[in-house]
Amino acid sequence: MTKIRFLFVLFLLFFVVIILRLGYIQILHPIAPSDYLMTRKIMAKRGSIFDRKMLPLVTNQMKYLMFAEPKLVQDQSLFTFKLSQILQMEEASITARLDKTKTWVAIRNGVDRTKKDAIDALHLPGVGFDEQPALYYPEGSSAAHILGFVGKNNDGENVGYFGIEGFYDKDLSGLPGLMRSDRDLIGRPIFLGTQEKIEPENGRDLVLTIDKTVQDIVKRKLKEGLEQYGSSQGCAIVANPNTGEILALSCLPDFDPDTYYDFPPESYKNSAISDTYEPGSTFKPLVMAAAIQEKVLKADSVMNESGPVTIDKYTIQTWNNQYEGNITMTRVLEKSSNVGMVYVGEKLGRQKLYEYIRKFGFGDLTGVDLDGEVPSYLRPMRNWYGIDFSTATFGQGIAVTPVQMIAGFSAVINGGHLMRPYVVKQMISDRKTQDIQPKEIRRILSDDTSSIMRKMLVSTIENGETKWLRPKGYQIGGKTGTAQIALQGHYDASKTIASFIGFAPVTHPEFVGLVIVREPKTSQWGSETAAPIFFQIAKELIVYYNITPEHTP
Amino acid sequence: MKQIVRNFLFVTFFLLVLGNIVLVVKSTQMGVDAVRIEQEIQDLKNENQKLVVEVSHMESLQYAASISASLGFTKTPKPMYFDNLKYARSN
Repeated sequence: MTKIRFLFVLFLLFFVVIILRLGYIQILHPIAPSDYLMTRKIMAKRGSIFDRKMLPLVTNQMKYLMFAEPKLVQDQSLFTFKLSQILQMEEASITARLDKTKTWVAIRNGVDRTKKDAIDALHLPGVGFDEQPALYYPEGSSAAHILGFVGKNNDGENVGYFGIEGFYDKDLSGLPGLMRSDRDLIGRPIFLGTQEKIEPENGRDLVLTIDKTVQDIVKRKLKEGLEQYGSSQGCAIVANPNTGEILALSCLPDFDPDTYYDFPPESYKNSAISDTYEPGSTFKPLVMAAAIQEKVLKADSVMNESGPVTIDKYTIQTWNNQYEGNITMTRVLEKSSNVGMVYVGEKLGRQKLYEYIRKFGFGDLTGVDLDGEVPSYLRPMRNWYGIDFSTATFGQGIAVTPVQMIAGFSAVINGGHLMRPYVVKQMISDRKTQDIQPKEIRRILSDDTSSIMRKMLVSTIENGETKWLRPKGYQIGGKTGTAQIALQGHYDASKTIASFIGFAPVTHPEFVGLVIVREPKTSQWGSETAAPIFFQIAKELIVYYNITPEHTP
Repeated sequence: MKQIVRNFLFVTFFLLVLGNIVLVVKSTQMGVDAVRIEQEIQDLKNENQKLVVEVSHMESLQYAASISASLGFTKTPKPMYFDNLKYARSN
């Protein structure tokens, strides 16, 4: 009995000690729940970006922050020697970081998996890795301005800037999850305690309208062209005129999204949507289409191009100051006659001219789903002088963005439908797939007008300055443009923006392309700079899209 | 009767202690398993991500261009030399 009592007292004491200890822990010196309740934010996986054929343009990868615990490092010289070989760092740099007074020092950011595995295989004491989710761009800088990049905000969180990453940041980043779990001293879960997990909602994957092969062709040809014509800046866009899908967009100079911080901030700006320019003669087909739509002129209507015309105190000439007398409207476009276009503007009337410029979307945003679009500059009609109505007919005195220009021109050739240009065609989340359909903003022209304009634009190529560039057997429609750059209220004749806008095939256009070359050195004319780049691109696209010849001369 | 109650209490007490020990051991073991499985899932995700990156690299045009260049499958320059101007000479 004594033994049992002894055992009873022993247990009693044991329980009293436990109760006292619990009282001490919970009442006298309460432990914060954070000491045993681990609350962890589970980061959502950022969505990937694919081209229209589901080939990746941006995907996730894991990189590592390599750190060292200097007090655990045994042989420092061997440690630095081996690490320097794998990390390709100077030994002195590693030694400088190994501060023995600290318990933790960062050695290198952005270590890839291969190097991590190589370092792990060395079994060096005092080395560790923290995971750093990062993005991988298989095509490098090919579509930099479309994609944008992911940087950090003031709170150190990943945020998308510019392009798709900026516009669709919330869709791509998803929603983080949360884990609340009671853990023991060595971090194992205590199953009798709190165990809650809210799964993160991963970011949506985006499928773009971009075709990376077309993108590669466009960027390569633009780069070669800019080098050949001595220009430091240019843009090229290829789109589907029937739907508004952008198939490729490249502006140079650009940047590498992976190392965007090594590039000047000016290079982040996508000139195709964020810069305006005077379109010059590429604007003429839009005004001509308006006049034909309003039935004030026909393709074969004749005007007398007898010489320069004077509007107020200004004289308007043709680009070469040569005049052909009686010419048709088709010939006005072929020879890109400014005098002829002033006539077209007069026949159309000021009110209608302004209305059609608005109808084609100038002065508004196109609504393209890229971050950083600016509206074109269009003054209210009451602020227009007489000369403005004349110069607008040949694309001077108004400022447009390249993406607006391609949207407006597409309406001329696709049956008159102004389509919203767009870049994302599908959004894929864990739960559903959402298709984004083409959106018509408004109908501007009839099928007949559009058909007439396509024929006139083919004639413009076949009988204009660029006839030698056309690939044999193919009909291509288009228009060159050369606009002087306005500097401090005056035009500098030596500085131009050369451009070309064109499409193929003619009957059912599959692509429309715009090439802009800023301040070319070898020639100031669009026909000698931007047009050859366009035709180089078109030749490759004809092969890529298996477009059959429409016409053999 | 008293002996029976005492034995019952002793057995009950013993079983409770044993059950408690089993519960602690099992929950510890489950904790260890949970941590191991969490790590395995993470490793698989990382491995999967690594493979995705490798496939993306292999499918990229940049890689195709570098391979074609190394194998010589690129256009070779075809310069035109003007050292045989027979037409010019005949005229």
